[in-house]
Amino acid sequence: MKKWAEVALGVVTSIGGFLEVGSIATSIQGGAQFGFQLAWAVAIGTVCLAILMEMTGRLAAVSGRSYVDLLREHMGVRFFIIPLVAVMIPSFLVLISEIGGVAIGLQIATGIAFQWWAIPIALVGWFLLWRGSFKMVEQGTAVLGLVSVVFLVGAIKLHPQWNAVGESLLPSAPSHDKVKYWYIAVSILGASISPYLYLFYSAGALEDGWSLTHLGVNRVTAGLGNVFGGGLSLMVLVCAAMVFLPRQIGVDAYEQIALVLATPLGRAGFALFLISLCITCFGATLEIALSGAYLLAQGLGWPWSENMKPANDARFATTYSILILLAAVPIAVGMDPLKLTNISMVLSAASLPVTVTPLLVLMNDRQVMTTHANGWLGNIALVLISLMSLVLFFVAAPLYVLGGG
Amino acid sequence: MTDGIDLRHDVLDALLMDRNRENIGRCDTLMLELRDGKPPRVATLLIGGQVRDERIGKWMTHLSRLFHGGKRAADEGVSRIPFAAMRSLGETIRMDVVRDELPSEHVEQWLAKHVICRIPGAQGKKEQGKK
Repeated sequence: MKKWAEVALGVVTSIGGFLEVGSIATSIQGGAQFGFQLAWAVAIGTVCLAILMEMTGRLAAVSGRSYVDLLREHMGVRFFIIPLVAVMIPSFLVLISEIGGVAIGLQIATGIAFQWWAIPIALVGWFLLWRGSFKMVEQGTAVLGLVSVVFLVGAIKLHPQWNAVGESLLPSAPSHDKVKYWYIAVSILGASISPYLYLFYSAGALEDGWSLTHLGVNRVTAGLGNVFGGGLSLMVLVCAAMVFLPRQIGVDAYEQIALVLATPLGRAGFALFLISLCITCFGATLEIALSGAYLLAQGLGWPWSENMKPANDARFATTYSILILLAAVPIAVGMDPLKLTNISMVLSAASLPVTVTPLLVLMNDRQVMTTHANGWLGNIALVLISLMSLVLFFVAAPLYVLGGG
Repeated sequence: MTDGIDLRHDVLDALLMDRNRENIGRCDTLMLELRDGKPPRVATLLIGGQVRDERIGKWMTHLSRLFHGGKRAADEGVSRIPFAAMRSLGETIRMDVVRDELPSEHVEQWLAKHVICRIPGAQGKKEQGKK
């Protein structure tokens, strides 16, 4: 019975953790400009993330150590500096974007300009990290994040042609604006497969004290949780396709994005969109700040745990404090959150190879994984994800220059 | 532990813990001791500081020097732990030392004392905390 509660909670956490500023913004841009056609990007992103989370979770449950910890140990410090920098920079930009997402939500709700909200948001976030435990951060935001189920309700009320949505789950070439199409596809992938997500998940497995008995929980959490989470992301795209595309509304500001649920659900929809945006972005803010601290602490061998008092892991606590407060500055001085979101998602996609490829080595190391090493199916999946991440690495920057901005 | 340790695989970059099982960093490099008339032996494990920068690359050494304004002594922030202090070698390595006495932990202690503990709640118990 306890196991089931754990599984349920895990699934809820993954659902609540999936949607954030990047997935909302990119899905809406995709839907608004290309209808259902980019549904496949959401689907592929979801499947890849589920696989990566299952593996990093399994790695942690079997070895009792986090992915970052093992990455440093097995690849050496000379290599480790590459993923450290390549993950830290995009994650920091995503962190700024998340704070921007909450700030924009509050601006639309209150009429007070988003710049004013940045510092208060960061301070509240910092306070929760300072005082709260890992469980509180993880589950609190996840349970509240369930409000984003409203996108499913919105999508159903808009009566889309579900078979057309289903057909779009297979990739197809665009008939117009080719560069823009591929640019958004890359952004969607970058938003779904953010490195901070699986680094956080792998550290979280240890914070929650996972062991071999949690392999089942891990599989269900990573699998079902992400399928539901990705499903919600798809519903965002469907809503945008039904609301914006027929009216030829281009979305280049969050004020327009906020209207996505107003058409199917009226004023309540408008309010629920803002609540979803604020809660999911705030949850991601906490997770990314912690992820950055995990990355540094685990890589360099510092004491770390969100469950410890800050006095006992001073460098860890200092890292998340600096990250969250520093990330508020660009928003406070008025940087455009949506533009920043787009850059962050593309950079995030480009950074994938350095964290995905080493996983292939670790998941096949029998000294680490004993009998739980990857099977051939897992390895094929991981090789495919690695290849895709390499493609993303090479196309991300050119596509951003040509199609984004 | 007697029949040979693969230093590069088992020791270098491994997570080190002190007597009380607290993390004290990673083995950033190993030093051989040259002895008259006897074969050299592995003498010390080094953690942190310039030693780690050098392993990452020249650019890191330069960056670090720039950051410290060129004022850093070569062994500042570097912990040297005798190999003989090794108590167990497994997934992590336990050394018979105390965290508070290591130079590489100075930053941690300084931050804890002068920054973290001055902020309310740093030492209070966390709700539902497990560790």
